Amino acid sequence: MNEGPGSSVTIAHVTKQFPGVLALSDVTFDIAEGELHAIVGENGAGKSTLMKILSGVITDYEGEIRLRGQPVWFTGTRDAEAAGVAIIHQELNLVEELSAAANIFLGREIRGPLGLLSEGAMQRAAGELLKELECHIDPRALAGSLRVGDQQLIEIAKAISLQTEILIMDEPTSALTESEVERLYRVIARLRKRGVTILYISHKMDEVFHLSDRITVLRDGQLVKTLSRADTNATEITHLMVGREIEAVDFGEGHRAAADVVLEVKDLSLAWPGHARAYRLKDINLTLRRGEIVGIAGLMGAGRTELMECLFGASDVRPTGEIILNGSPARFTHPAEAMKAGIALVTEDRKRLGLFAQMNVGQNITMCTLHQATTAGLLRGGLERAQADSMVTKLGVKTAGTSAPITSLSGGNQQKTIIGRWLLTDPQVLLLDDPTRGVDVGAKAELYRLMDRLCRDGLGILLTSSELPELLTVSDRILVLAEGKLTAEFTREEATEHKIMEAATLV
Amino acid sequence: MGFAGKYRNELGLLIAIACVFGFTLIFNQSYLNQPTLNFKNISQQAALLGIFSLGAAIVIIVGGIDLSSGSVIVFSASICALVLMWFAPVDENGMPQTDEITGWTPVLMAIGITIAVGLIIGTLHTWLITVVQLPPFVATLASLVGLRSFAKVLNPAVSKILGSEVTTLPADATKLVDLSQWWVAPVVFLVLSLACYILMSHTVWGRHLYAIGGNEEAARLSGIRTESMKWLAYSIGAVTASIAGILYLAKIGTADPGTLGMGYELNAIAAAVVGGCSLRGGMGLIPGVMLGVLFLRVVIDSINKVVAKGSDDYQGMIVGFLVVLAVAVNEFRRQGGGQRKLFFPGTLGVAVIPILAAFVGCVLFVMYGYGAGIATFVSLYALLSAWKLAETDKKIAAALMLAGIALGCIVTVVTLRHWEAASTLNKLGIGFGFGVGLLLTGSGLVMHLWKPAVESHAPAKSPPPK
Repeated sequence: MNEGPGSSVTIAHVTKQFPGVLALSDVTFDIAEGELHAIVGENGAGKSTLMKILSGVITDYEGEIRLRGQPVWFTGTRDAEAAGVAIIHQELNLVEELSAAANIFLGREIRGPLGLLSEGAMQRAAGELLKELECHIDPRALAGSLRVGDQQLIEIAKAISLQTEILIMDEPTSALTESEVERLYRVIARLRKRGVTILYISHKMDEVFHLSDRITVLRDGQLVKTLSRADTNATEITHLMVGREIEAVDFGEGHRAAADVVLEVKDLSLAWPGHARAYRLKDINLTLRRGEIVGIAGLMGAGRTELMECLFGASDVRPTGEIILNGSPARFTHPAEAMKAGIALVTEDRKRLGLFAQMNVGQNITMCTLHQATTAGLLRGGLERAQADSMVTKLGVKTAGTSAPITSLSGGNQQKTIIGRWLLTDPQVLLLDDPTRGVDVGAKAELYRLMDRLCRDGLGILLTSSELPELLTVSDRILVLAEGKLTAEFTREEATEHKIMEAATLV
Repeated sequence: MGFAGKYRNELGLLIAIACVFGFTLIFNQSYLNQPTLNFKNISQQAALLGIFSLGAAIVIIVGGIDLSSGSVIVFSASICALVLMWFAPVDENGMPQTDEITGWTPVLMAIGITIAVGLIIGTLHTWLITVVQLPPFVATLASLVGLRSFAKVLNPAVSKILGSEVTTLPADATKLVDLSQWWVAPVVFLVLSLACYILMSHTVWGRHLYAIGGNEEAARLSGIRTESMKWLAYSIGAVTASIAGILYLAKIGTADPGTLGMGYELNAIAAAVVGGCSLRGGMGLIPGVMLGVLFLRVVIDSINKVVAKGSDDYQGMIVGFLVVLAVAVNEFRRQGGGQRKLFFPGTLGVAVIPILAAFVGCVLFVMYGYGAGIATFVSLYALLSAWKLAETDKKIAAALMLAGIALGCIVTVVTLRHWEAASTLNKLGIGFGFGVGLLLTGSGLVMHLWKPAVESHAPAKSPPPK
């Protein structure tokens, strides 16, 4: 390992095991003093975990972190900050009700002779810091009232005032306007002149190639390669990002045959008020046939979940454009209407948006179809149990019984109960938003087989996934979303991970 | 889950109620001497509280809170009385005489209109919460404050039009007075309980109410019309309070916005919580709420009998204590009872020990005189300090704990029996106990500084670098 005197951070054999997932596996590389080091990788490649370890958010891991050759073990973010490592999260960490100055000095407030806060001194100091960053705001302005770009500069100002030597930036441009991005680039250049080492996480190849000295590619928690910018190009990097392993699934029975169109989407757009991009989705066109699985690829923030929510009538803002179900236009204002029309959505965040943790397996399955288990308005335990049992059998849910608590099931089986809940509504279109997230490998393969079977029964399935091999395994066609727009469409035969990743990263 | 598992909370409450009965029987013969009178009293009181506790519980189950019941009670009673005044024949001075109403029709009209007003209030709450998007706490707080004051203004204004300008409205229609018979409220309560039980446990709506309380966003994404369901819950909350208002009016005979229903909303919430509802929503059973109500009333009645003050002055303290106890026990169970839990960590622990001791000491002082108060304070101080030490170091603990308990017993017994004699022994005993308490606190503090006992709050310790 080239651990010269110029090495600022050394990451040596870092491994982090989460329950069921190996997030980082023996990652070793080093970051030179004063360089801008980009870290790229697919969703779930381990970038965030690594950054959380470096910034003291995650404190239990195997391996070693060395700062300038000295081994360190941060016990918290405070500890990391004291050692000169700061992180600027994608979701900014400001107290919106406090002023810019108060945020910059939060926890290290400047105090006057009586021990009282010295607002004036803090505002002056904050003003100078911000001016240096080309941020022309009043330090007394409330953080919550500022634009995202300015909020970000407050975080950077805070990092500078902490004498930060190593600054981690997680997707800093994801919410910025063009001119704010330009300004951020200038700020980055200035930070580098001060000798700050920057770790830069991004999906966007143009940014990475514009800014970085070296690029490290992570995949599946493993280090793929560290390259100098001069020796590589965007295509090579995207190709290095893909190639995750996946268990081969044999569906047998040959190809599925797609029938008539069940869902058609024309020029679907979803506004994003108050955001630099102004839209979450822009002019989406797609068709879905019965007996077909259409995969939707896209990196974090590309708009996959938003697209699903639009189709299900669950978006906060009403989308524009046309949704045509079975040949007639549909305009859903509430998920209840979409459900009635034959659309089902299995949400991305199972715990937060799908499960009723206080209820048992049976109650979770029958939630949408309870009215079919009543006589004269009263629930019939037998009918309800029959509904639940039918799905437990059909989907092979491994549970002690329908009266077992839902929380006693594994992730994969929880997912099956939710799919079962929706199958009971007898849908024509099944929207699966990243259904294998947090599901172990064996259960994933089972879910793939289940999707295949449902599809053969005549269901149209729209599937999103963070894992490209999964989409390539299961889908008949793959659409690629990037920044709210469809950037490519492939048939299964055409699609490769490389092509998809290029379209997703806008190479 | 078997019967015992599903109804664990309810079985626990039943046992607790039985214990309180047994405890009361030891000190007071009233239950044996006047069983009928006691039964009538307790069942009427419990039923009146129970009626609107059902509503409070359903709102809590759906994940909200209804703070307005007390004011809805007085407002409904006022509306009911005003309608009766309107129907009442007038005397020679043009004053309405409600006691001359003898038929059912005006009374039923008044009841119907009052219930409709409850529905209106519930609808207003729903609108404020789902459309204006106020937190339930704020929306119902506004009507808690607003409706009582509204009744104060409305009563004289409307009664002036009807012939007599008063704030406290009389309502003596004979058929309404009939409703004050002891069995009416319990019957209404049982009927409403049955209806609520069927709604919550045997209908789709009930299941949806639990679903919304458990996970509102998931419920919406499961196609549940969350707004309509919330309307149902808040309407039940307000209508049950209106019904209670009518019965209180029948019992008391006047609707006085200055006093009626003051603070009742909190008793209802307390009963629901004691009955097993979680303020996080999605939890709680109607039978549990019924038992929670009964438990509260039985304890209040027991204290009245045992302390023999014959007043409801202790009610607030009892309710407060029981709520803390019930929720603490539930939380403790939820977090997994086996886990080691620190009750007095760090400086906060050092500070709270004398506070608890002083609080209990004061109560005992009020009940039995200052000797008992001081003795309790001292022994509790010593006992809790020993407890704190036990949390930090088990070895020192056991001995100290025993010492504390023994000391507490001795001081309490001696002082209770012989304080008036003011013997040197007692003074010595108290001085000694106080000294030990201080000593234990001091050593607790030292232990804390030397070996902070805050493991339960700190993040998991990182493994040492290899």
